[in-house]
Amino acid sequence: MSQNNLSFELNEDQKMIRDSVKDFVERHVAPSVMERDNSKEFPMEIVKQLGEMGMLGIYHSEQYGGSGFDTLSFCLAIEEIARWDASLALTVASHTSLGTGHIAIAGNHEQKVKYMPELCSGEKLGAWCLTEPGSGSDASGMKTTAVKEGDHWVLNGSKIFITQGSVGDTYVVLAKTDPEKDTKGISGFIVEGSWEGVKSGPGMHKLGMNSSDTTEVIFENVKVPAENLLGEEGMGFIDTMKVLDGGRVGIAALSVGIARGALEESLKYSQERKQFGKPIGDNQYIEGKLVDMATEIDAARLLVWRAATLKDQGKPYTTEASMAKLFASELSVRAALEAVQIHGGYGYTKEYHVERFLRDSKLMTIGEGTSEVQRLIIARELKKTLS
Amino acid sequence: MVPDVAAPFQIKEGELIMDADRMVLNAYDASAVEEALVLKEKHGGEVEVVCIGPAKASETIRKALAMGADKGIHISTSGDEGFDSASYASILSSFFGDKEFDILSLGKQSQDTDSGLTGSMVAEKLNLPYATNAVGLEIEGNNLVVKRQGDSGQEMIELPTPCAVTCSNDMNEPRIPNLKGIMASKRKPIDVVELSSLGISEEDLSPASKVISYEQKPARQAGKKFEGEADEIAREVAQLLDTEANVI
Repeated sequence: MSQNNLSFELNEDQKMIRDSVKDFVERHVAPSVMERDNSKEFPMEIVKQLGEMGMLGIYHSEQYGGSGFDTLSFCLAIEEIARWDASLALTVASHTSLGTGHIAIAGNHEQKVKYMPELCSGEKLGAWCLTEPGSGSDASGMKTTAVKEGDHWVLNGSKIFITQGSVGDTYVVLAKTDPEKDTKGISGFIVEGSWEGVKSGPGMHKLGMNSSDTTEVIFENVKVPAENLLGEEGMGFIDTMKVLDGGRVGIAALSVGIARGALEESLKYSQERKQFGKPIGDNQYIEGKLVDMATEIDAARLLVWRAATLKDQGKPYTTEASMAKLFASELSVRAALEAVQIHGGYGYTKEYHVERFLRDSKLMTIGEGTSEVQRLIIARELKKTLS
Repeated sequence: MVPDVAAPFQIKEGELIMDADRMVLNAYDASAVEEALVLKEKHGGEVEVVCIGPAKASETIRKALAMGADKGIHISTSGDEGFDSASYASILSSFFGDKEFDILSLGKQSQDTDSGLTGSMVAEKLNLPYATNAVGLEIEGNNLVVKRQGDSGQEMIELPTPCAVTCSNDMNEPRIPNLKGIMASKRKPIDVVELSSLGISEEDLSPASKVISYEQKPARQAGKKFEGEADEIAREVAQLLDTEANVI
């Protein structure tokens, strides 16, 4: 009989990473999170500290400055950060799996040597520029163009909702290199923020994720050296799909973190808050909410761990990543909503964490493909199983 | 190695029931490791960590290695129950008896029992100069200068090496292992030492103290609420502090 590899036990590395990140977050992140949500300030100092810890290249190869751990370790770290500060978790997740991730997936050796070490150390921050005002998951409609002129490309266009749009140093930009073709005419480029013609818009006013940096990024006649074409010409969209598979696992882990925060805060509050002579948490209505949250969080986490494990094993995981992202993100909104309800009037104020969780959670069902897009992907994969 | 202070525990019929899987590095020991690493960074040398316990103690040792210690020594025991301070002191003094070292840096107590005896007992058995409750360590020449927290202030004590010192957790903020440290810790050696090789068997350890039973602390009584005008309440509170609480 073959050996059963199914295991729910983390290995020693994974436990140590989880514990280290938990310690770091409780010591350096949690105490100031409300203040940051209010000031909307990007926590550059904390991000640099995470870089020094090796957290910004956690699953990237040691050869290129990464820490050399697995995707599951990354998910554990993201969950721990998101438990307290979803904005920071979004910064780490997008930097690691989108910006740096695209270079790791599609870059050649020289590009990885040049760009990855400074991204993994946090010396530079990465931003991934796919979305445009008129195109999201359907990248074929993108308007940004790159035209070859001698030994360089000339890049023109504007990108929107770019995480690290203004604090980023190294941009991965998707552009049409052949307007005649749709997705097969898209290519990726590595663009340095200091180059002439690269401009960031002001910080966008958002519902939540306040201390994560989101801006428009505009490219005006930016001269990109030919060697900065990322991956093969015309393969940008295919690479993007791979990058997004990885990114979705991170967003799913982030969602689990928010939901866990909602549960832990609610559990505590419902035992402290007394009405009619007993803690509200001893009423079955509240108990039911807590139990459903806990059960669904476990289910979501298992989906995340499975997708991460498949990725680490080099197996296909598109469907599993989308399922994890779909279920975990929708759960995070439900859990945060229930947490506000359990906290009653206090939950509606900024004195408690849960209203922030609710605002932050909503991005989870939108970013890196909406829930509707995840369903579309899963449905497409499902139909492939019909012979 | 102590139970995670955040882990729930129960007391049933005088017995303490806790989750033996949730063991962590004792906070006082973490400070002792941190201080040793700071001394190593300043003066060179090597930091070796020694831990007594069952198989899972290796995880605790690995944490210290990930913080930056060079080598681990795991003195292997069988059960989860642990021993009393005198037994730990016997084991440690047997182990260190024939070892060369400059400074034995120990946590001043464990977070679970708070006995605070082992360090002093080891120093006594090994006939080492020692100081307790250290809040700072400096090396001057061949001596260790210990800043210790005393009753009325901080005392500076100079100890010739080799010596032993027990560390307070007010001494420093133990570093959080970074990912490079965690990766490096996998390549660092952990020597496993069997008790028998120290000439000790677990049955022969004669505890000097024994816990008879555990009792739950009684729940805190509800406080007294005062309502009314401030000056009236103040008068009433002052009176009750005198007549009822007997503190004035």
